[in-house]
Amino acid sequence: MAEKKLSKKTLGKAFRNWYYGHLTCFSQEHMQTFGYLCAMLPIIKELYHTPEEQKEALSTYTAFFNTEPQLGTVIVGVTAGLEEAKANGEAVDGEMINGIRAGLMGPVAGIGDSLIVGTLIPILLGIALGLSNGGSPIGAIFYIISWNVIMTLGMRFLFYKGYELGGKAVEILVGEKANAIREAVVMVGTIVIGAVAASWITITTSFEMLNDDGSPIIELQKTLDGICPKLLSAVTVIFCWWLMSKKKISPTLVMLILVVIALAGVLLGFFDPKLSY
Amino acid sequence: MEINIFQAILFGLCACLSSMPGMGGTTIGNYTLGRPLVAGLIVGLIMGDVTTGVIIGAAIQVVYIALVTPGGTVSADVRAISYIGIPLAIVAIKGLGLDPASEAGRSMAVALGSAVGTLGTVLFYGTATVNLVWQHMGWKAVEKGQLNKLYVVDMVLPWISHFICSFLPTVIIAMLGSNVVDLIKEYLPMDGIAMKTLFTVGSLLPAVGVGILLKQVVSKPTDLLTFFFGFVLAAIMGVNLIGAAVIGGFFAVIFYNIKLLQLRKVTVGSEGSEIDDDEEDI
Repeated sequence: MAEKKLSKKTLGKAFRNWYYGHLTCFSQEHMQTFGYLCAMLPIIKELYHTPEEQKEALSTYTAFFNTEPQLGTVIVGVTAGLEEAKANGEAVDGEMINGIRAGLMGPVAGIGDSLIVGTLIPILLGIALGLSNGGSPIGAIFYIISWNVIMTLGMRFLFYKGYELGGKAVEILVGEKANAIREAVVMVGTIVIGAVAASWITITTSFEMLNDDGSPIIELQKTLDGICPKLLSAVTVIFCWWLMSKKKISPTLVMLILVVIALAGVLLGFFDPKLSY
Repeated sequence: MEINIFQAILFGLCACLSSMPGMGGTTIGNYTLGRPLVAGLIVGLIMGDVTTGVIIGAAIQVVYIALVTPGGTVSADVRAISYIGIPLAIVAIKGLGLDPASEAGRSMAVALGSAVGTLGTVLFYGTATVNLVWQHMGWKAVEKGQLNKLYVVDMVLPWISHFICSFLPTVIIAMLGSNVVDLIKEYLPMDGIAMKTLFTVGSLLPAVGVGILLKQVVSKPTDLLTFFFGFVLAAIMGVNLIGAAVIGGFFAVIFYNIKLLQLRKVTVGSEGSEIDDDEEDI
């Protein structure tokens, strides 16, 4: 029997199905399961010919699946390689593939959420915000192009690396060198987000103490600016971070707390946007 | 300023494509069309005022600069923020005669966009619930061995969920938008407590977005120092965001090289290993 080898066309189709369809049919019960089934379907159809075999092979992928979809492409690639090995009669079975898949989705989700959503996107958006001054469309265009090029090429790379290297491909994501790169990228992200906070958050107080003749004794905002410009913005950010990370309060509740603070501040004359129609 | 039915339909389509879980796939949909900055450009193009759209989108973007949905729990819905919140904000700002580039204009947009985004989580849970029906059909198809039907289940039928939970709500709310502004004008004077609070909330909310991000990247207290380094660059030294990214990149390269030196020390200390060879190649 000739060795079965997945054709380029099939691999491309599997990749496209995942790239586009990983989250289209999402529910709380089966998040990316159907996207995964659709990615594996072309592969299974090429490797197995009878309907019974196909159904049997596909049943491996009916278990719950959810990860960070961009980096998660590597897992799809790994299972494509394993499925090929299984079809060639190597010592791989469905249970083993499922074990590997389930074992990878958690760590990959953790890395992906912090690296892609928590770092890469904020860096790109931070730069894009800098380019958007005065309502210029260049910032948004920069983000659209840079994000899509990086992700499409990156996901392709991960998919084919996963297919070629199998489980070893995951080293790309969790090895020591990868860790060092990740920490360095997170550092850029943290610095950029500091600059975003300073450039885009404008919290000022209108609090004043007046003399009898109306001249101010204390203009709080001027005093604060003397200590550090944008001090109130920094304090508010740290306060929100503290509520969420140390007090474990949800972002929605933090927003509500800010509404209460805003109302109290307005009533006390601490905040006043000084507007009228 | 009113939104016509044609514009509302375009917003509705964008809402279907951009939501999480959306019909555009996450790379093009959620992470591109769903970002308020991009949506600001698109809504601006549709409404014929790119400048206002981008200014508003950028202001709202800061609140949602790191919107993560760990394990499928959401605190805000991108389709609602982007394609309901931004059009409403444009209508409101124009209707109230505010300058979009002013602090007041931005605060108004942020307050409105965030409120819509939080309420919009209903749409997220709605879509996910309707999708259960298609998934149920999918399992039946797998059982019967009709494997090709999976494509329909994954990529076609969810359009129905989105017609109900993304398209219709977006179109209806966009069409009603201008009435809302009239109501605000009539009942909520700008110097009243309600509007003052609204604008203040708008200026405070971006701090939540940055706070969410900090929560993810700060693992030890000294990491906060990195954040303040960036803050001081912009607030005191007047460096813009692109400059801050370059300076950050420079420090990251230094940091990376130090880390590599540490790693090499460890491998040399343990008399070398196979991994060592791989590491040298790159």
